[in-house]
Amino acid sequence: MRYESHNEEETKKIAADFVRDLQGGEVVFLSGELGSGKTTFVRGIAEALGFHEPVRSPSFTIVNRYPVENVNIKQILHVDFYRIDDASEIPPLALEEEIGQPDTVTCIEWPEKAPSGMFVATHQIICHGGDPYVFTITSLLPQREGFPRLL
Amino acid sequence: MRILAIETSCDETSIAVVSLTNGVFAIEKNITSSQAKIHAQYGGVVPEVAAREHAAWIIPLLQEVDVAHDGAGIDAVAVTAGPGLVPALRVGVELAKSLAWAWDKPLVAVNHLEGHIYSVWLSEFQAPSGACDRPEGRLKPMFPALCLLVSGGHTELILMRDHGQYELLGMTRDDAAGEAFDKVAKLLGLPYPGGPQISKVALEGDAQAIAFPRPMIDSDNVDFSFAGLKTAVRVYLDSVSPLSKGELRGVAVANVAASFQQAVVDTLVAKTMRAVQQTQPASVILSGGVSANLRLRQALSDAIQSRFSGVSSDGDEAPVKLFVPDLSLTGDNAAMIGVAGLMKAARGEFVDPLSLKADPNLRLA
Ligand SMILES: Nc1ncnc2c1ncn2[C@@H]1O[C@H](COP(=O)(O)OP(=O)(O)OP(=O)(O)O)[C@@H](O)[C@H]1O
Ligand SMILES: [Mg+2]
Repeated sequence: MRYESHNEEETKKIAADFVRDLQGGEVVFLSGELGSGKTTFVRGIAEALGFHEPVRSPSFTIVNRYPVENVNIKQILHVDFYRIDDASEIPPLALEEEIGQPDTVTCIEWPEKAPSGMFVATHQIICHGGDPYVFTITSLLPQREGFPRLL
Repeated sequence: MRILAIETSCDETSIAVVSLTNGVFAIEKNITSSQAKIHAQYGGVVPEVAAREHAAWIIPLLQEVDVAHDGAGIDAVAVTAGPGLVPALRVGVELAKSLAWAWDKPLVAVNHLEGHIYSVWLSEFQAPSGACDRPEGRLKPMFPALCLLVSGGHTELILMRDHGQYELLGMTRDDAAGEAFDKVAKLLGLPYPGGPQISKVALEGDAQAIAFPRPMIDSDNVDFSFAGLKTAVRVYLDSVSPLSKGELRGVAVANVAASFQQAVVDTLVAKTMRAVQQTQPASVILSGGVSANLRLRQALSDAIQSRFSGVSSDGDEAPVKLFVPDLSLTGDNAAMIGVAGLMKAARGEFVDPLSLKADPNLRLA
């Protein structure tokens, strides 16, 4: 699905709509050039899941964790591989222990910096910071009809 | 009192020996991986990608600072316990715990931000340009001190009421100032790390050439935001050379660099001066990696000078003094952790070497 956004608030609404389909365990890849709204989109996801503290860019910290209280989703893992310049820097982060856990939603900015196949996305969001901003969301999950929504 | 200090919170691995004698700090050793000349003994040049491999650096650095194998001459061990990257922090924390336990020396856990603040205790008072009557010895910051901490990962205004007493006044809501420098440098095709490169290129440019936004400069709080500025530079570059960003050269690049740098400096200075007005500190401390930026140092110094010009020291408003670290101590280093560690050791603030854990979100206040 392709969504246009004219400001941060609209982007957060798109993110909130996206969150409605999440059950926990998702791995969301966010791709797009610098300033294309990846962090802003994740801020929208976090707010929609009930996290009300500032969501900052994880480019330096590489991983930020946001605890949330939902039926299924208890944590948002906000990952940013912007500063990774060699695949060998990723394993020490020990992300595989957390990514994909049923109570965790993982959002990864700059996922293309990791070797392909190291992490498997359930959703892909292509961000484009033009006028307007455009977010193209693709679910990579097989269509599961009648899957209960537990949020 | 002599302390062995270890810092591995982010990209640098660093070990230092710092002493405190009659109230004066002295750096006896301070070795950092990016500067270390231990490549030969390490068996060739350490590849660039190993910059963050603290585990590979830590023992060669420990050998280089040359402490006695039984810890003789060292009174305590200090280590950065957070905030930072867990796998990175852990290397330093585990080494510090092992040494403290094996040597039976007290262990001090230091907050990385506290270390940056204490880096100015190692440098001399910055006399205003022209004044050459430097005071005897080293002038120390007086309290309350307002600290502007700017680096790749942090942009924070902290009020320090006394040693070890901190209050967070404001911080960035999205990108840190140093992060904006690095990302804009990337957009301009300049090499990493971006901060020094932007400043260098900016020397040839016109800081007024492009009116980049100064996000939140007029808002009443003392929080920062730099994501919009980063994005404004990208949008500008797309608009002037939509086909290939590489086409932008020479003066054009210098103008973007200079105008961007000015926007960051204006914002940092304006917010700091707002905090000065709100908290009436006795000193201002500028530290962190971005404090190496000379334009920022000058602008903050000028702003403080002009605010207090004409105010005599026996007036209501005492002139505020600005403290900045020596340029060699602006980046991450263990010497500053040693100073903060010595201050905590003097107050008897020790931790148990068996239970200390790295904390990626460690808070100052
Ligand atoms: N419609 C919009 N949606 C999202 N952000 C917008 C929009 N319009 C303007 N912006 C601005 O664009 C900027 C996006 O920055 P953000 O840090 O979210 O991008 P990013 O893709 O995470 O960048 P990076 O690659 O540096 O991580 C913000 O300053 C935001 O205010
Ligand atoms: Mg981002």
